[in-house]
Amino acid sequence: MKTALGPTILGLAVLLSGAALAQERTLVINSFGGAYETAHRKCVITPFEQATGAKVQVTTAYSADAFAQLRAQKDAPQYDVIHFSGGQEIVGAAEGLLAPIDAAKLPNAAELYDFAKANLAKGQGPAYSIAAIGLVYNSERAPKTPSSWKDLLDPAFGEHLVLTDISNGYGMLGFLMLNQVEGGSLDDIQPGLDAVGKLLDAGAIVVSTSPEIQQEFAQNDAWIAPYASDYAFTLRKAGLPAKFVQGAEGTPASFITANLVANRPNQDLALKFIDMTISKSAEECFADALRYSPTNAKAELAPDVAADVAYGEDAVKGLIRFDPATIEKNRAAWVEQWSKTIAR
Amino acid sequence: MSDRTENLLLAVPGLALLSLAFFLPIGKMLVLSVSGPDGPTLEHFARFLGDPFYLGILWRTVRLSVVITLVSALIGFPLAYIMARVGPRLRLWLVVMVVLPLMTSVVVRTFGWMVVLSRNGLVPDTLRDLGLVGRTFSLMQTEAAIVIGMVQVLLPFMTLSILGVIGRIDGRLEEAARTMGCGFLGAVRTVVLPLSLPGIVAGSLLVFTLSASSFVTPNLLGGARIQVLAASIYKSVTQTLDWPFAAAQAIVLFAGILLVLAPYVRMTARRHG
Repeated sequence: MKTALGPTILGLAVLLSGAALAQERTLVINSFGGAYETAHRKCVITPFEQATGAKVQVTTAYSADAFAQLRAQKDAPQYDVIHFSGGQEIVGAAEGLLAPIDAAKLPNAAELYDFAKANLAKGQGPAYSIAAIGLVYNSERAPKTPSSWKDLLDPAFGEHLVLTDISNGYGMLGFLMLNQVEGGSLDDIQPGLDAVGKLLDAGAIVVSTSPEIQQEFAQNDAWIAPYASDYAFTLRKAGLPAKFVQGAEGTPASFITANLVANRPNQDLALKFIDMTISKSAEECFADALRYSPTNAKAELAPDVAADVAYGEDAVKGLIRFDPATIEKNRAAWVEQWSKTIAR
Repeated sequence: MSDRTENLLLAVPGLALLSLAFFLPIGKMLVLSVSGPDGPTLEHFARFLGDPFYLGILWRTVRLSVVITLVSALIGFPLAYIMARVGPRLRLWLVVMVVLPLMTSVVVRTFGWMVVLSRNGLVPDTLRDLGLVGRTFSLMQTEAAIVIGMVQVLLPFMTLSILGVIGRIDGRLEEAARTMGCGFLGAVRTVVLPLSLPGIVAGSLLVFTLSASSFVTPNLLGGARIQVLAASIYKSVTQTLDWPFAAAQAIVLFAGILLVLAPYVRMTARRHG
């Protein structure tokens, strides 16, 4: 009995510390699936796992869904680092779901443009990529090269137009831009809904996810879609003659942020992950792989990559950012109005 | 221990599981559906029942479920009859064929339908070659696609329910009807059909409830513009985060299914005691 007790205690201690270590060395994050997730793994996740020896568990969830999950998990959050593309971090930080970040703990934050790290102390994580929303079109089949958002209403595009449901972050921004072009504002989206109704009557279709857009371009003879610049690049890589053009009336931008979730045990590991995400090499990798615009001032891009993104501080400052807090406040009402407009 | 107590004790684990996994969550949902910022309220139900948009969704869900049940019964009954009357070897292969769609993931199976039914897919291409439809015809994102996809996966439930009952019908009854001068179809109509009604009812119950509450297939095949009630509940839970309203919709779905099924079951129960 006496001799068995010692080794037993030792064994238990090793087991428990092993379990504690295992828990400490796992990071739970969300990513956006498809081509994005592949690039995410290449640019950040795999280098992070190699550098720290930790394991990263990736859940595929678009920003709106991930934010809904975060709200539902308020008492026991399951994510360590959460990525948003629709400005949900502003509301999340205000609700106490995201932890304030000490800029001193993020060495790479010094290299970011000011607007990308504006509210770290309030809990809003740094922006590591910017997606510009414009017009993605089939350069071979489209009857004319579009140049403005009003071109979407051109009957020549009729049933070859693909609209994205506003449950998708880019779809929401594209819709709000169309609304603005039609005379509406964030307080009144009726002009946008009327325009969407007109487009649907002319034969446009609505999809909910980005792979469906690719399917429409590839198989169903789609010619134009209001979507992000990075997706035009994804379509080109898939062999489709897709081009991107910024609308003349303006270019809404989606800030993709990496945020620290509050009340989780391994905050230091999470901060290391965020730091790696905003590093020069990771942002160059994202720009190269997906054509996202970098927020790191030190990032250097090859000329052909730079031509496809908003490169440089001035180019990036000129983008429109619809107030995410207003969007989040009105989202429920807008989703209902949108569903009623597109229902058949 | 008396027989009664013994029976009761045997039933306790099952009852406990049922109450924990079913009655408790349903109860919580009932409470959630009448909860409001100032205490219990019926405003969520009023909002649902007073809005033609949501009533339209409810009607579409019920209508599609009825169509799917009818189509499954129309295909399932002859199929079950054939399966019951062939030899055991062939019957095994037929059963495997009918059950095979259930063995693949619902998402993979639905994506298969998306390829077959889309604008350049097999079915519209054939219809176009036959000159029956226009150039841009597509079956995707239509209610027909939902019916096709759901029938494929719910047919085994209907067929196997009916098969079980037909298998127990004495073959001599049909023979007797035939010797009395009845044709083949007449014998099926007057002898087999009434006797297999319990199986048809059981199959219809299953198919109706499963299709009324289904979500993945209608969402993928119907697209964003055709919503069924389950999709609307999902939207309320994940996108608009309006959980009381989602609970109210779920209660309405539950009540709707009960309302449609109760007279059906009572009607057939009266005929067969």
